[in-house]
Amino acid sequence: FSLSGCRISGDGKPAKFQPPPKPVIVDKQKQREQRRFLSPEFIPPRGRTDPLKFYMERKDMIQRRKVFNIPEFYVGSILAVTTADPHANEKTSRFVGICIQRGGKGLGATFVLRNVIEGQGVEICYELYSPRIQAIEVLKLEKRLDDNLMYLRDALPEYSTFDVNMKPVSHLDYEEIPVNKLRVRMKPKPWSKRWERPKYNIKGIKFDLPEEKMKEAQKWSQPWLEFDMLREYDTSKIEEKIWKEVSEELNK
Amino acid sequence: MMPIWTKSGKRHAVTLLKVQDCHVLRYVSKEESDGKTSKLLVGGKNASPFSKSESAMEIFREAGVPRKQKVTTFNVTDDALIKPGTPLYAAHFRPGQFVDVTAKTIGKGFQGVMKRWGFKGQPASHGQTKTHRRPGAISTNKASKVYRGKKMPGKMGNVYRTSFGLKVWRINTKHDIIYVNGSVPGHKNCLVKVKDSILPTCKDYNKNPPFPTFFADGDEELPEDLYDEDIFQFTDPSVTYA
Repeated sequence: FSLSGCRISGDGKPAKFQPPPKPVIVDKQKQREQRRFLSPEFIPPRGRTDPLKFYMERKDMIQRRKVFNIPEFYVGSILAVTTADPHANEKTSRFVGICIQRGGKGLGATFVLRNVIEGQGVEICYELYSPRIQAIEVLKLEKRLDDNLMYLRDALPEYSTFDVNMKPVSHLDYEEIPVNKLRVRMKPKPWSKRWERPKYNIKGIKFDLPEEKMKEAQKWSQPWLEFDMLREYDTSKIEEKIWKEVSEELNK
Repeated sequence: MMPIWTKSGKRHAVTLLKVQDCHVLRYVSKEESDGKTSKLLVGGKNASPFSKSESAMEIFREAGVPRKQKVTTFNVTDDALIKPGTPLYAAHFRPGQFVDVTAKTIGKGFQGVMKRWGFKGQPASHGQTKTHRRPGAISTNKASKVYRGKKMPGKMGNVYRTSFGLKVWRINTKHDIIYVNGSVPGHKNCLVKVKDSILPTCKDYNKNPPFPTFFADGDEELPEDLYDEDIFQFTDPSVTYA
């Protein structure tokens, strides 16, 4: 018993058989290729330097990346770095911490890892391309609400403590990077910087300050800055070119 | 400026100098130059010939070379003379040599005595009336005059200065770039004169250079990059301490 004969179209005649819609197959491999990550130190800063200098630096950076794997990571991911240390017992020292800042361009690019060890907050600034680094492992790959987590210095220490023997959390290639929308609670004021002011543009703090203090902080806002055309630096085309160059060289 | 690491893991900062269209322009013999050594005029970066007078363009026409933006003289011994018109390359220097770099410093304009000469000035408060960055006293009572050369405000910068004894870490023969230790006077992309060092402690390192210069059409084939022995090359694995 089929209902095909009962199907009525607008004309009153028996309707034409319409096959069910085809299932959409999402190819995970193609999704993976679509997500490109170019490390921020490859993008040259705005200035009057000759592009040849950036080209020479990029060649050296690519050369180092061929020999030593520098994984993709963001501010807010937890890393473990082993460096060669002439004064340590086994000549290597391992440090685990959350990346709070990525600075510098070119070969001098740095990242700062923070952790609280036995009650003492420790921050170490490593150079990405230093030959003394033996290995960089990403224990947890995630992003946070801000690009700069320096406010963790004034936050409660529980937000900066990470287990030194943490197991790496697996992350599949094609999945998007998870954004940790954690809003951090701060220690009582005074802080090292006035993080409530709009110049720092921090979204990751749960401010417990009264309304008047927040309104007073907005006095220092500069709403004209986002419309300033001289400050615009559109890196999309530069990024495209550099991404092509870097991926070709690394895949050779 | 770029960082560079040695094989022991130590980090140094390095300036990149590009050798752009350098040609030898003229040979001035010992008698003409009224000195003890003969001179060679060398020209740097190419520039347009239209803004110079005909008489100034004569030197370039004789050497058969486009007009150069900068012309410098080098005191040369008689056995190191080069024919005018030969191009000079970065491979004239080798890693491990020491070099003096001369250039015009960045012009800062009319500057006060604190920035120009490093005077301490006066305190910001505690009763100072309109005196915070002034030189104070300029001479004594007994002298009853101001000595010549007294440090006073004036135009600062835009003067030729030399940094001595800079080590050459690396030479790129393909793009003609010299990697020189430390900083160099002048702004980004300014014209610079690079010479063998005159320091007595650097005499030993400057032996066996390519003499009189490196000729590109010669038989010698150099690799694209020449490194000093101590440099960490990025093709090597990471540094370890045994």
